[in-house]
Amino acid sequence: MEVSLLLNVKGLRFPLDRKYYTKNGAHLWLKQEGNLVKIGMDAFAAEMLGFLTFLSVTKRHVKSEEAIGSLESSKFISKFYSPISGKIIAVNDQVLSNPRKINDSPYDSWVLAMKPDNKVYEGKYIIEESDEILRWISKEIKRLKSD
Amino acid sequence: MKLFNLGELNWRQTQLVYHALAYENIESLVLYSSRDSYMCVGLHQNPREELDLDYCTKNNIGIFRREIGGGAVLLDKNQVFYSLILNRRNPIVPYAPESFFRKFLNPVIEAYHEIGITANFNPLCDLVVKRKKISGNGGGEIGECKVLSGNILLDFDYGRMANSVLLPEILQERFLDLIQKNLTTVKRELGFIPSKEEICSILATKFSNLLGPMLKGRIDTKINKKIMELDKQYSSDTWLYQRGTKQIGREIKICEGVFLFHIILNHQKGSVEITFEIEDDRVKKVIFSDNFSLSNIDHNKLEEQIIDLKYNKDELVNKIIMIIKNHGGIIVA
Repeated sequence: MEVSLLLNVKGLRFPLDRKYYTKNGAHLWLKQEGNLVKIGMDAFAAEMLGFLTFLSVTKRHVKSEEAIGSLESSKFISKFYSPISGKIIAVNDQVLSNPRKINDSPYDSWVLAMKPDNKVYEGKYIIEESDEILRWISKEIKRLKSD
Repeated sequence: MKLFNLGELNWRQTQLVYHALAYENIESLVLYSSRDSYMCVGLHQNPREELDLDYCTKNNIGIFRREIGGGAVLLDKNQVFYSLILNRRNPIVPYAPESFFRKFLNPVIEAYHEIGITANFNPLCDLVVKRKKISGNGGGEIGECKVLSGNILLDFDYGRMANSVLLPEILQERFLDLIQKNLTTVKRELGFIPSKEEICSILATKFSNLLGPMLKGRIDTKINKKIMELDKQYSSDTWLYQRGTKQIGREIKICEGVFLFHIILNHQKGSVEITFEIEDDRVKKVIFSDNFSLSNIDHNKLEEQIIDLKYNKDELVNKIIMIIKNHGGIIVA
């Protein structure tokens, strides 16, 4: 059985077996599996957006920060931006046909699998250390409360 | 911040103008109405699956697929439209969709109050009077902006709406009943319709109270160029009929919390066609089609197991599949 450490911030869970993409409220997680990176949405996004009703992503080669799809929740369309450059090899049809799975179980509901252009993907907006995640999420919760 | 008080536009312009302003990153409020009727579907909808295209063509009802959220809706001259366009990094723009709608629909609620209608916010983004929807809204990110777009329903052609939506035959009458029951209008509430100019003037004042003074906007060459560019893009079949992700069953939303969820499941003896009526996010009624052919399933008993369940498409479908399996049926793809 795989056991991974978990950061709990005010009831929101953040497994520490993956990285997080933080730019402009993106709230995506990235998990390396073999030579692919699986990408999904984190618990903060699942909570903040409300029930997801549609999610659309297309398989192709994408650049970091490029809009690769759209998602709909609460009758509001948000863009889905790629955290890294690479080729989208697979999309999770089960999640795309019922995106509410992300609300129910964000870390089991990967959205797409990508073969990254660079083996090492890092940058200002990709974090993985628990103290960085804690700082980021605390700031995001504060921002949400001030709405 | 600019105010575009545009009066009546042709139906395509009513959609193109706010998309163009958002792509041009012009923070603005747009007030306007449409000369003609059209059906407008949400970004993730395909008109072929949502609309009766033959009826729309025969009745000169245009079709537009917008870049913001929500479902298929009939838009026409008996409505006043408002669109608010704000840069997504503007600090006054809330983070969460619900807060975004709550904050920027407040001026619309105040406008309703001023004309004598006690409308309230009903999350996610409906405005209601005594639980009946009186304003539909949607939102989304377009270019660098976040956009809210909605309407004040002065009057509404329920029959035209019901005819324009693609529905299984067994649901046509029920859909009409439900929209008549759950949608109200200014005319129904007041007994008369105030002038569109008066409503636009009240809306402009209420939005200015929240957002500060606004300068008069003019559709200049740059905006016009963008409008023409988008018109070409949105008119193409590639855009209009772009296939979204296939969803489980078909969900037809009436207003917040009220849906029809229709599903056809094939099994070895035929097919099971079931519609769930959802109210307050719970199953209130189950409608079986005539071709419900697993005769050893007692409809009443099945209904007992489904009624009052919380609305979750996946769980409802799995429950039905389990019941059919328990009666010796096999679901086939």
